Amino acid sequence: MAVTTQLKTSKDLQELRLRLVKQREAKRIGISVCSGTGCRAHGSMELVEEFHRQLDAKGLTDVEVRATGCHGFCERGPLVVIFPQKIFYHGVKIKDVDNVIEKTIRKDELVESLLFKDPVSKAKFRLEHEVPFYAKQQRIVFRNNGKIDPAEIDDYIAADGYAALAKALSKLSPEEVIQQVQQSGLRGRGGGGFPTGKKWEICRSQDTEEKYIICNGDEGDPGAFMDRSIMEGDPHSVLEGMTIGAYAIGAAQGYIYVRGEYPLAVTNLSIAIEQSKSLGLLGDNILGSDFSFDVEIVRGAGAFVCGEETGLIASIQGDIGSPRQRPPYPAQSGLWGKPTNINNVETWANVPVIIDRGSDWFAAIGTERSKGTKVFSLVGKVQNTGLVEVPMGTTMREIVYEIGGGTQKKRKFKAVQTGGPSGGCIPESLLDLPVDFDKLQEAGAMMGSGGLIVMDERTCMVDVAKYFLAFLVDESCGKCTACREGVAQMHNILVRICQGDGRDGDVELLEKLGAYVKETSLCQLGGTAPNPVLSTIRYFRDEYETHIHGKKCRAGVCKALVSFAIDAEACNGCGLCKRNCPSEAVTGEKKQPHSIIAESCVQCGVCYEDCPFNAVIVE
Amino acid sequence: MTQQTSDSSEQSEWQPRIVAFLCNWCSYAGADLAGMSRFAYPAAIKIVRVPCSGRVDPMFVIKSFEQGADLVLVSGCHPGDCHYTSGNYHARRKLLAFRELLTFLGIDPRRFKISWVSAAEGAKWSSLVKELTAEVKELGPFETYSKILTGENGR
Amino acid sequence: MLKLTIDGQQVEVEQGKTILDAAKLAGKEIPTLCHHPAVPPAGACRICVVEIVAGDRPGLVPACAYPAKDEMEIQTRSERVLESRRMTLQLLLARSPGSDVIRQMAKEHGIKELPFPEQTGENGDDCIMCGLCVRLCQQIIGASAICFDGRGPDRKVSTPYKSQSDVCLGCGACAFVCPTGAIDPADYCPNPIEKIPNEFNCGLDSRTPIHIPFPQAVPNKPFIDRENCIRFRTGGCGACETICPAGAIDYDMTDEFVEEEVGAIIVATGYEIMDPSIYEEYGYGRYPDVVTSLEFERMVSASGPTNGELTRPSNGKPPMSIAFLQCIGSRRETGGKPYCSKICCMYTAKHTILYKHKVHDGQAFVFFMDIRAGGKNYDQFVRRVVKEKQATYLRGRVSKVFPRGDKLVVRGADTLSGTQVEIAAEMVVLVAAMVPSSGVRELSQKLRVGYDEHGFLLEAHPKLRPVDTNTAGVFLAGACHSPKDIPESVAQAGAAASKALGLVCHTRLSREPTIGVVDESSCNGCFECEGVCAYGAIGPREIKDKKGNVLATVAFINEGLCQGCGACAATCRSKSIEVQGYRDDQLFAAINAIHR
Repeated sequence: MAVTTQLKTSKDLQELRLRLVKQREAKRIGISVCSGTGCRAHGSMELVEEFHRQLDAKGLTDVEVRATGCHGFCERGPLVVIFPQKIFYHGVKIKDVDNVIEKTIRKDELVESLLFKDPVSKAKFRLEHEVPFYAKQQRIVFRNNGKIDPAEIDDYIAADGYAALAKALSKLSPEEVIQQVQQSGLRGRGGGGFPTGKKWEICRSQDTEEKYIICNGDEGDPGAFMDRSIMEGDPHSVLEGMTIGAYAIGAAQGYIYVRGEYPLAVTNLSIAIEQSKSLGLLGDNILGSDFSFDVEIVRGAGAFVCGEETGLIASIQGDIGSPRQRPPYPAQSGLWGKPTNINNVETWANVPVIIDRGSDWFAAIGTERSKGTKVFSLVGKVQNTGLVEVPMGTTMREIVYEIGGGTQKKRKFKAVQTGGPSGGCIPESLLDLPVDFDKLQEAGAMMGSGGLIVMDERTCMVDVAKYFLAFLVDESCGKCTACREGVAQMHNILVRICQGDGRDGDVELLEKLGAYVKETSLCQLGGTAPNPVLSTIRYFRDEYETHIHGKKCRAGVCKALVSFAIDAEACNGCGLCKRNCPSEAVTGEKKQPHSIIAESCVQCGVCYEDCPFNAVIVE
Repeated sequence: MTQQTSDSSEQSEWQPRIVAFLCNWCSYAGADLAGMSRFAYPAAIKIVRVPCSGRVDPMFVIKSFEQGADLVLVSGCHPGDCHYTSGNYHARRKLLAFRELLTFLGIDPRRFKISWVSAAEGAKWSSLVKELTAEVKELGPFETYSKILTGENGR
Repeated sequence: MLKLTIDGQQVEVEQGKTILDAAKLAGKEIPTLCHHPAVPPAGACRICVVEIVAGDRPGLVPACAYPAKDEMEIQTRSERVLESRRMTLQLLLARSPGSDVIRQMAKEHGIKELPFPEQTGENGDDCIMCGLCVRLCQQIIGASAICFDGRGPDRKVSTPYKSQSDVCLGCGACAFVCPTGAIDPADYCPNPIEKIPNEFNCGLDSRTPIHIPFPQAVPNKPFIDRENCIRFRTGGCGACETICPAGAIDYDMTDEFVEEEVGAIIVATGYEIMDPSIYEEYGYGRYPDVVTSLEFERMVSASGPTNGELTRPSNGKPPMSIAFLQCIGSRRETGGKPYCSKICCMYTAKHTILYKHKVHDGQAFVFFMDIRAGGKNYDQFVRRVVKEKQATYLRGRVSKVFPRGDKLVVRGADTLSGTQVEIAAEMVVLVAAMVPSSGVRELSQKLRVGYDEHGFLLEAHPKLRPVDTNTAGVFLAGACHSPKDIPESVAQAGAAASKALGLVCHTRLSREPTIGVVDESSCNGCFECEGVCAYGAIGPREIKDKKGNVLATVAFINEGLCQGCGACAATCRSKSIEVQGYRDDQLFAAINAIHR
């Protein structure tokens, strides 16, 4: 941090910003190395060190190395982006550092091997925004990821950080702030889609002195990591959003509830809090005004149900993490019985940019009823996995194919599952649905928090339903009969079906139980738990029928219902399956069609997965 | 002092005489109950009714011996049950001290009895009188008093 | 006030009440399991779901925990509600197939079979996770001894780390509120679970610390037994204060000592039944099916421990044969009470009628010595019992009661046939002697009223003054005087009341003239007499001359207070006090007269 004295006015902040921007101009080149959890796991921090070491050794002092937040293209990490051109390198290793410095830094030449190559067209892309993965994205929430070091408040300020807060405190009244948020059309990004401005209004209107702000960073959906990347990569955006919200609502204390499994997010948020406080951007008398707001981090302890508002509040209070019946809603009576406004991480991250650029600018993005962008974690059987931020209204097809690059191994697309354990699947026929809260709801899917799991012909939809139910059985708090017993019974039925013990009437019973659990559960964990089952039944009923009556899993997943065989015409006897088979169940001569010995086969699926000629089939 | 006329018939058929001072509320009522319940008891006993055993002055005892009683009994309510709350406590203290004096004077202490009989104890009264009568018969007539007066025993 | 429409019926409730409160006011029954009026609601079991049709977001909500809203329209038995309720019950039944409560509820809702398998053995659990016990222990009792362990279907109610609890009070409240009886505090409470024996039911069942002692209590209001009440023991609970709609509970109330000056006292302290454990041959206290007549009376009473269902304490089944043993402890020269308890023959006959009424095919036997049935229509009553074969009457005493198999053998004599008989009875009633209430001796000493060796208080004259005592102003009524039944007690009470009235309705007090008088000329003012007067009737009196100079201070006796005991007269050294009627010279004259 360049400055450690408190900023007393917006003017102080403005002056600081100008100084910092000027400082940064002195650096000719910037090397941004992704330091999100995914890339770290691939050794990106060692890359940072190596860059530092080599640049020092080579005496290149006008090059800055910055460990930045998640860039999003997690499939291809470690990612390095060279500024100011924004040259995009992927899969960078230690051994590449020298090359990058010598060629790109010194001579402005490209290291071809590190450029992204389209798997179909084979075309190579030079700049980040040209890469198909990024081309269709509009990075507003991720505006700073990839550009700033999350542990450096100066980077954030230099990137116009806290300008929105300064504007709000000096130029807008709390009511005007709420108005801006309402007019922007921002809706909750955690999955509920409730109009944020309206929520703030309700909380503001409660007639008590003590109010609270909470940021829900529990992110429990399996496979979702959008909020993680925001908290890790741009923690100040969350803090600034919360502070603006606190000003608008009239709260003096905020909590960020981070799930226990995100240590880096906790670290970076803690650093950010400390740094903001020392600059007077958080804590007492922010920017010299009479508005004070403090933030505390509370760590979760491994419960999905604590992502539910009232479960989260219970957890902060030290009670057992079970949701409670509503009303009263948290906006009326929440933490310690006081009016509490809870918003998701991504929602908070949107607030500064709305205040800074104006609600009209924000409302111009997206559809009629869903404004702004949404961050999705695109995972599963798709070429380009990672975090994708697109304007609302983008179609599923665009995301899966144009951004995601389509399915892997040329397999046939089957469905994309949205909203995690609370959501539903979208089959091929509905791929042109736009990303929009209401349109997805109508189709029986749910935006959810933004998880998108791509599934192909080798995904068993019954197994998918069973997977999500197993997750929910584990995560159900156990308070209400409907969820605790109902979801467990639904799971039992699916287990039975996948073991080959499906019975006539099972699907109808699942539908009946599903409808019951949906409308009788106490909270939305139970209320949405049947969605994966009901949605897969809706669009893939035939798979259920085959499992139950035909006793077969055509996708080759449910072992009890699978028998593999080798299509003699497709097999060219390469012997790969025979070599890899763990139970020696494959026989065949070299270059001759192989066959599977049914008695020895344990249905592990290795041959099915590995055969380059798709010669292994499910009978 | 009344003269006691000794008679040969009296000497051969000496009838013991017991004077009993009974408190009105308990012992006297108990004796009355004995009567109503038809519990017989010897006629040797002669009853003088007092309101409370606490009324009994040691002079009454001396007077009784003087007049020729062979045994004197004072009977009142059981301790704790006195109709006048504490009268029987005063009686007890006073008469026990008096008994010491009688002993000092040379009078057989067995001739002076204190008992507690309640209004419900008709049977007890009856057996008490029988017992005392038997005892006094054994003790024989009380002659010491007259001997004290006449100086016969040399004191 | 909020206006709701429930099943088409309009009802008004206060702000802050739930839909369940409103439904109760409207007379609509909604089943609940995890709800208890003294515990904050949770909406966990989902049995009480109702359908909001208008006035709020439509859907199913738990009535016990959902706040009433103005203009709400609710359906408590729509098809949607019933479908949901049935499924909830089916799920609960699958989880707890052994629970009678759930079975019954399921039956009432027409559930015959389950679409999923029952959990059996270790997995089948009567606990339906309603959470009442945990909420109660944490929020009401304040002990927080139990909590939830784990989550989801494997969640259990347990203590932290499943260890024995340091903080459990042993109050048993958790077991009390549990809707299915699944929780047993003995599992984790190292302290014995104290059940408070219900004194009125002879300890046959238990009661709560706050209780109305019996249905006919006057005043008919509950009171708190401080020794057992959690509020007084730990400061927790306070549930009664919370739910009392009249706000009548005040924990700061203390006992008041009331001093009243009265002119008359009527003692009517009643009786108890003797404890027959001393007669070891009858096995009371050893064999559970041997009970006293008072215990039997409570068992057959509709407000008794089994609500009037007569059941054997050993196995809970109705006794098909019963033996009444009369005169237990009564009419015994030695080892008991010599008197006849008077009421037993009649009430035993009544008991046999009650028994037959409750156990139609049962057989009753009565062992008796004599039948004392001297009152109006009494003899006809007993005769009827014998004639209508309500019971078999056997004249003879019982020597022994002992077990054989699951019955009790009563061995006695039938003196009319001259044989020994043995009756195998499933229950034995010992008709025990009537004794005065305990504590009567201390009371009578305070009142200065006499009592006999049994503790019965003494009347002034057995024939002519049966309700007076020897102490002026104290009267007797009822069984404290002698064994008697209700009509006699009532008659005696009326007599005592009129005697008492007779005392207080006069304007002048007449009293015995046998009081003490002081001879002021010989009194030397030592005041020894003052010390022995139990009534404080003696005080000083100054004798003055015409000028007002005090010549002497002498003793003075207050005529109104003096009772005439004569202790002062016996104490006075100068013989200055005389009791009128019992003067020294009068007593000397009596002594002289004896010896004439």
